[in-house]
Amino acid sequence: MLKMSNVAKIYVTDTVKTQALQPFNLEIKAGEFVSVVGPSGSGKTTFLNIAGLLEDYTEGNYYLNNQDVTHLSDTQKSRLRNEKIGFIFQSFNLIPELNLFDNVEMPLRYRSFSAKERKQRVIDALTKVGLANRQAHYPQQLSGGQQQRVAIARALAGSPSFLLADEPTGNLDSNMADGIMSLLKDINASGTSILMVTHDLEQADQAERIIEIKDGVLTESLASQKVVA
Amino acid sequence: MIATIAIGIAATMVTYTVNYMMTQDPVPSKSDRLFTVHLSSWDPNMSYKLKDGKEDIPIYLTYQDATNLYADKKADKQTIISFHKAMVRAGEQPSGMATMTYLRPTTHEFFSMLEVPFLYGSPWGIEDDSGGNPVVVLSKKKNQQLFRGENSLGKEVLIGGLIYRVVGVLDDWTPLPRFYTTRSEAYTEPRGVFIPFQSSVNNNWLSGTDGSVYCWGEVNFVDLESVKSSECVWLFYWIELSSPKKRDDYLAYINNYAQEQRSMGRFQREQMNRLMDVSEYIEYNEVIKEDGNIAVWLAVAFLIACLLNSMSLMMTKFHGKGSEVGLRRAVGASKINIACQFSCETVIVGLCGGIIGLMLAQLGLHITAQVYSHLHAELMEMNFELMILTVVLSVLSSSIFGLYPIYRACQIQPSSHLKSL
Repeated sequence: MLKMSNVAKIYVTDTVKTQALQPFNLEIKAGEFVSVVGPSGSGKTTFLNIAGLLEDYTEGNYYLNNQDVTHLSDTQKSRLRNEKIGFIFQSFNLIPELNLFDNVEMPLRYRSFSAKERKQRVIDALTKVGLANRQAHYPQQLSGGQQQRVAIARALAGSPSFLLADEPTGNLDSNMADGIMSLLKDINASGTSILMVTHDLEQADQAERIIEIKDGVLTESLASQKVVA
Repeated sequence: MIATIAIGIAATMVTYTVNYMMTQDPVPSKSDRLFTVHLSSWDPNMSYKLKDGKEDIPIYLTYQDATNLYADKKADKQTIISFHKAMVRAGEQPSGMATMTYLRPTTHEFFSMLEVPFLYGSPWGIEDDSGGNPVVVLSKKKNQQLFRGENSLGKEVLIGGLIYRVVGVLDDWTPLPRFYTTRSEAYTEPRGVFIPFQSSVNNNWLSGTDGSVYCWGEVNFVDLESVKSSECVWLFYWIELSSPKKRDDYLAYINNYAQEQRSMGRFQREQMNRLMDVSEYIEYNEVIKEDGNIAVWLAVAFLIACLLNSMSLMMTKFHGKGSEVGLRRAVGASKINIACQFSCETVIVGLCGGIIGLMLAQLGLHITAQVYSHLHAELMEMNFELMILTVVLSVLSSSIFGLYPIYRACQIQPSSHLKSL
């Protein structure tokens, strides 16, 4: 479903070239739950941005659902993001001026769904995260865990092939974090692939595969082997 | 942002409205077919005046020339326009209610040539002109003053102590600029009382009590016959031709007339006889001053300053929305989607600015009308087209000045803003 061959990223300024990611190969199959771990500044977010088509890579090839995305236009990449990828962020990234319904509906507005279908998808997504009865509320009226659930509903509303989660529990206490992890596992169990960046090794261990990034170098280990911090 | 645009739009539109209304074509259906006639009848020993360093001729005719040309009736229509002022009251009003009123002695063609609308009745007839009958046409405002706006046809009006009978009442009529006399009257209301020119002659109302009479040679102002046969110029003379192409023919006619007069000892100066159509006469009279255009350009400069300020505010606002842009891009919005979203915002900002600016402009025009109460009130009134223009200008200008902020917003890298929402 996701295949990267010799993908690398170099940031170039006037005077300095920085190798953010060394060339790497990676393949994630449909339905897999993959964790990405590594110290701050190691390149985790850069990797996730490349995987999410938010950032270009400087070398290699990236195939998403067997489609080479290297030379896609901005509009084509946007459509692919909208249809195939769901994003979950550490700080939820909900728009405070919009209520929950409108927040969840936002990605659907960039697709040719009818208003009726958008409404049904929003309600279904909010139902999955247990917040259907609060669709008229605003983000600031919710707890952190609830806000992250809304963000997950937003990611799910478009029925993506896989979710990219950037430290989804980073701003939550342990109880809320457990709830979110449980929800992600349920989503994964229903067939959606998940690629999750986390600092929490216990959470990382709940994935089937763990990718470690250190100084821009990707290495992979099975979850059961545990990653040394 | 909206307030900035609104203030800029209001200032621009107040200035533009006054300038626009001042430069309207007062008779668009025939402004190229109406001509004023000017003759070189002045003193052979001294020029009438200099204009732009060159000799100029009077814009008025002598009584004898005006009546001669009028009697010839060589144009399709022609009219003599004079002036006088007298105490006026309705016959049924007590004498103490008489007010000093500016009169407009003219001929019956005046009304059809200038497309004057009538509320009641009609212009007086040819026989009233030739006989100088005591008939009067009142403006709507004067009819309101004298007869409370009622149908006053047949009623008596005392003008200078003489009884006149009302034959017509005008509807609202506000030619802007009021081109057919002098520059000083261009933006004042039309006179309220119209009487046959011959009637004013019969009444010996030839004195220039409220207008200019320029003379050379011998004249005795006490003796009517002396004034009538003098070289004093004081009458406006306008003609209407069925086609602008007939202009040359009519000019040839007045040149021939001048030659005839020359052979009789008059018109001894170089002949500079001329016809001027409405726009030429307005330009000659300098009714529309260059100052007005400069004021409009200054107002436009102020608007641009406001728009630049607004653009800066937009930049700040859109930059502040960088994380929202990043989020929208992440969930599938293309740059085009982002551009559309912010374009909608700039249009709405422009629309709101335009509507508020329109209200401010109305307020500004109202205040201007109060300050310049001696000018015609319609100068300070926006017509429907100007109202639409105000809003369209606001939307258009805010959209144009929003292009760069929108472009910058579209360049936002989503990956660099997603952690800051």
